[in-house]
Amino acid sequence: MKVAVAGKGGSGKTTISATLARLLARRGHPVMAVDGDPNPNLAVALGMSQDSRNRMVRVPKDVMETKEEDGVRRLVMARPIEEVTAEYAMPGPDGVDLMVMTGVDHAGAG
Amino acid sequence: MRGLLGELATGTNGEAMTITDMEASIEHMSRATVRHVDAILMVTEPYFRSLETVGRMVPLARELGIEHIWAVANKVRSERDEEIIRSYCAEHGVEVGAVVPWDEAIQEADREGRALMDYEPDSPAVAAVQGIADLVEGKAGSSNGRGGQG
Repeated sequence: MKVAVAGKGGSGKTTISATLARLLARRGHPVMAVDGDPNPNLAVALGMSQDSRNRMVRVPKDVMETKEEDGVRRLVMARPIEEVTAEYAMPGPDGVDLMVMTGVDHAGAG
Repeated sequence: MRGLLGELATGTNGEAMTITDMEASIEHMSRATVRHVDAILMVTEPYFRSLETVGRMVPLARELGIEHIWAVANKVRSERDEEIIRSYCAEHGVEVGAVVPWDEAIQEADREGRALMDYEPDSPAVAAVQGIADLVEGKAGSSNGRGGQG
């Protein structure tokens, strides 16, 4: 199940994302938290240690690439997802894994 | 490494969940990341501009074929607050998935740079998010045959 959390800045979406991630992890689900905000602070909201936060590397844009299929441009993985999570996901409290994106959403623009 | 194992662990401890904290701007809605999600939670505060953001996002979410669309009322201090959100959502045909009360513990946890779950796991806000977890779990597994209703 993939869940996106959206809302106006300041609406509290990061706190809700983090809390939801940890509760689901406590219920026994493997949870991947993804920070898609250009000003990322999900790591703090998740309660990740300073040390882990310092060691985190943002997922670079080039893990995705633009492909054209039937005249429709779409973003696809340039590398297998398993490889990406292994390299960039950082384990946090309650076993929640976190990945921080580098504006991947804008990758198709160029 | 554990991240990878976590993703692959589907079925042993429960379905794998991905929770993406999205960029605030609604332009994000039309981009690739959100196209692949099964559910979207639109967090809103009880005031018009925040609700309008939901109002703009909903048609986009529908267009993208996202199966489950929920508004999450946040920072709700009164019945009136809740009513404002409920009536706006009813008008726009959006289900209110959860009502999260205003909770001092969130501000205090923020001030200290700590997770709400560590600062005050028994707070009313956490209890409300348990309701969101119920909602998400309830729909988990039903989203394998994607394609949407339209």
